[in-house]
Amino acid sequence: MGYDVKKLRNIGISAHIDSGKTTLTERILFYTKRIYAIHDVKGKDGVGATMDSMELEKERGITIASAATYCEWNNHEINIIDTPGHVDFTIEVERSLRVLDGAILVLCAVGGVQSQSITVDQQMKRYKVPCIAFINKCDRSGSNPFRVIDQLKEKLGHNAVAMQIPIGLEADLEGVIDLVSMKAFYFDGDNGENVRIEDIPENLLAESMDRREELIDAASMYSDELTDVILEEKEITEELIIDAVRKGTLTREMTPVFMGSAYKNKGVQPLLNAVTKLLPCPSDVENEALDMDNDEASVILESDPQKPVVALAFKLEEGQYGQLTYIRVYQGTIAKGTTVYNVRSGKKVKIGRVVRMHADNMEDIKKIPAGYIGALFGIDCASGDTFTTPGVNLSMTSMFVPDPVISLSIVPNDNKARINMSKALGRFTKEDPTFKTYVDDETNDTIIQGMGELHLEVYVERMRREYDAEVTTGRPRVAYRETITRKAEFNYIHKKQTGGAGQYGRVAGYMEPVTEEDFMFENKIVGGKIPTQFISSCEKGFRLCLAKGPKMEFPVTGVKVTINDGASHAVDSSEMAFQAAARGAFLEGYAKAKAVIHEPIMKVVVETPTDFQGAAMSLLNQRRGMIVGSQDEGTQSVIEANVPLAEMFGFSTVLRSSTQGKAQFTMELGSYKQVPQSVAEELIKKAESEKKSKA
Amino acid sequence: MLNIDIILNNPFKAMGYDNEDLIPEGGFGAVLARAGVGKTAFLVQLALRALLRNKNVLHVSLDDPVNKVGLWYKEVFNNLVKQYNIKQSNQLWEAMLPHRFIMTFKAEGFSVPTLEERMTDLSEQDIFSPQIVVIDGFLFDESAQKWLSDLKAIARKLSLHVWFAMRTHRHEEPASDGMPVPFSNVSDLFDTVIQLQPKGKEIHVLSLKGGTSTSDSSALCLDPSTMLIKKQ
Repeated sequence: MGYDVKKLRNIGISAHIDSGKTTLTERILFYTKRIYAIHDVKGKDGVGATMDSMELEKERGITIASAATYCEWNNHEINIIDTPGHVDFTIEVERSLRVLDGAILVLCAVGGVQSQSITVDQQMKRYKVPCIAFINKCDRSGSNPFRVIDQLKEKLGHNAVAMQIPIGLEADLEGVIDLVSMKAFYFDGDNGENVRIEDIPENLLAESMDRREELIDAASMYSDELTDVILEEKEITEELIIDAVRKGTLTREMTPVFMGSAYKNKGVQPLLNAVTKLLPCPSDVENEALDMDNDEASVILESDPQKPVVALAFKLEEGQYGQLTYIRVYQGTIAKGTTVYNVRSGKKVKIGRVVRMHADNMEDIKKIPAGYIGALFGIDCASGDTFTTPGVNLSMTSMFVPDPVISLSIVPNDNKARINMSKALGRFTKEDPTFKTYVDDETNDTIIQGMGELHLEVYVERMRREYDAEVTTGRPRVAYRETITRKAEFNYIHKKQTGGAGQYGRVAGYMEPVTEEDFMFENKIVGGKIPTQFISSCEKGFRLCLAKGPKMEFPVTGVKVTINDGASHAVDSSEMAFQAAARGAFLEGYAKAKAVIHEPIMKVVVETPTDFQGAAMSLLNQRRGMIVGSQDEGTQSVIEANVPLAEMFGFSTVLRSSTQGKAQFTMELGSYKQVPQSVAEELIKKAESEKKSKA
Repeated sequence: MLNIDIILNNPFKAMGYDNEDLIPEGGFGAVLARAGVGKTAFLVQLALRALLRNKNVLHVSLDDPVNKVGLWYKEVFNNLVKQYNIKQSNQLWEAMLPHRFIMTFKAEGFSVPTLEERMTDLSEQDIFSPQIVVIDGFLFDESAQKWLSDLKAIARKLSLHVWFAMRTHRHEEPASDGMPVPFSNVSDLFDTVIQLQPKGKEIHVLSLKGGTSTSDSSALCLDPSTMLIKKQ
């Protein structure tokens, strides 16, 4: 196929577990001729019923869950992008949602809008991803697509409008009636591959007319032309309705609803038609980049292949030929042999092999123009890196990487796990800049650090699932800090002049709290009381004290040290001596500076159905949380609070159980604040008992 | 030492209000002005002054999201501490925050029973018990009278001081009592009505009801650059 961005769709399929995402993806790949046989998730003996897509993939050798699967339908190219299922608000989720231009929200005709549908819907909302809905499993007993449409309206606040009605339901499901063309669609053949279009059965004509009226009424909100035609009582063409529905869909003001049963091969082809007709092409979507030369100000990109390149590496895959980097080009064209600039590392990279992924193979191509997705071989980069034309300093993701706030020790269960764990950690740190790892010098444990308990849990789970690395985790630890609250003076003499080479240095001055920086050093020595060559040793001595604070061995931040006096010895003063004197001076001043412990305070946002607002607030309140406010958004309510991280352990479980799994929350580091006296005392006690047990 | 006294120096004395609450417990106050003149800034100042007196303020907004309302407070607070040259403003801010609760509604989703339910939820769980309620974005339309009467009953029951912002329009002629027409029907429910009136480069703070200043002259105005209340 050529490159026509208008005929390109980058979509995601979002669904609740068990609503049939895997089956639907499978049917899409079958009807688009990317795979040639259909295997059911649920085997005849029922053994495969709980198979997840990862296992299915392994067995089938296809890449349903690969970063991007390519297929073609009605002269349109469709990239199906994998959207990570985990609910945690990680950089990875953010990245994959940025790559999508539109989505299919799959719902179960029996279960309706379930908690995870709410979660995925909120993710879509956050990233303004236009979507169409597919009500699957209309063949199941108890299915009721119109109840699901009502739930879409009530629970998710969508302006959901049926584009079809089913012909029969449950075991009698035969096909669907398209309310735009007013035709009945039946799906014949072993796998429903032959679409038969007929007139609407007599018994469904009246209902079809009514539903079509509703559809046209809703669509007319987005098209003056359609409104005029209605008022003038002229013939309403299919194009007019589709154009209006498309406008409503692109602005997320309307959610067209399709229905069927992927398992019974009914309704998938019309859904694919809808993807091409209603979901946006890359040039319909406004993408923003951040201007690194202008304080990360946002810049609107143009989906023009002739403009300078801006592309995002959104997923890395370890293949047999090395690292495969999935890339989405937002502006310009990435072509084989050209040179691009990695905005994060500042390195220039020459593009070698460029490929396009098919379901189970890859095709070499020459270029990836704006809007397209492809993969590059042999590029050393991290996930989330932005590539641009040299000279263009735009980034698709913020360069600000917050310090981790929580750590966890992990111990591999056996030697195989140790090797796999190391591979996994290497990969994860490349994928996610907020995920860090190191080996503790004292305990020799591997420590992983991240932005929250769930964040780390996701990686531990991925280690187990994707790398077969079973690890035992320790207790999560909060990244506390120490700081001082008042100005204190020091005047310390380091003196060792008894035998051998002597050491002498005197350092005097004061330390005071600062908020602007973690550490500041000022030299106010006059008259060479400390010789110039030893000033840097003094600074180094002070800096060395910051890693482990004297109070609780937490890192010290927010301290300004000023030295204004001192003394040296012509023979015995040395760099070592002044470093030691500075350390002594620091301890002396620190003891008087009323040191306190600071803890990370998280900005927590809970999204909950209004009915559970009180329960959610109560949970936050119990956790030393300060609720900033609540936002009533009809059926949903958003609560914003500042809560100490130490109190957030296990919050997701408690929140789920108190809200029937219907609430979700996100959190990010807000600030560091002093821990209350009672908590500080607890911490001191705990540290002492740990010290004793170690000893 | 926090120099709160300066802030607490009640500027409304000049308008004849001895008590900085301006309204009695269970009472209503309103700030009327055209769009963009400074209703929210004025209400936020009233709220901040109450917070500095350790009163609990519930800010209800029917227009803006929580973070935008929060920004209003931060901005006005920063101007206030700058004007009075207050050191350690961070500590003061941190100490005030637990006394403030922001509640926002989509205008069409707001109703008095919902607000009452939310307030009861908060106080029953010992999360927050307001003393002063600021309602920004309330629509003074046909249904306002019924809603305000219901709110009045709640305000009396809970001994709340309730402040409203009301947008007026340039083209509307005032009613015979000098109040804007849509407000005139409900003005008897209000103890204090303040109008913000742009005059030249300044915004005058006039008392339409309560206080001693008249609609012709005022002792107070808003500084157009900081939107802070100052004496003329």
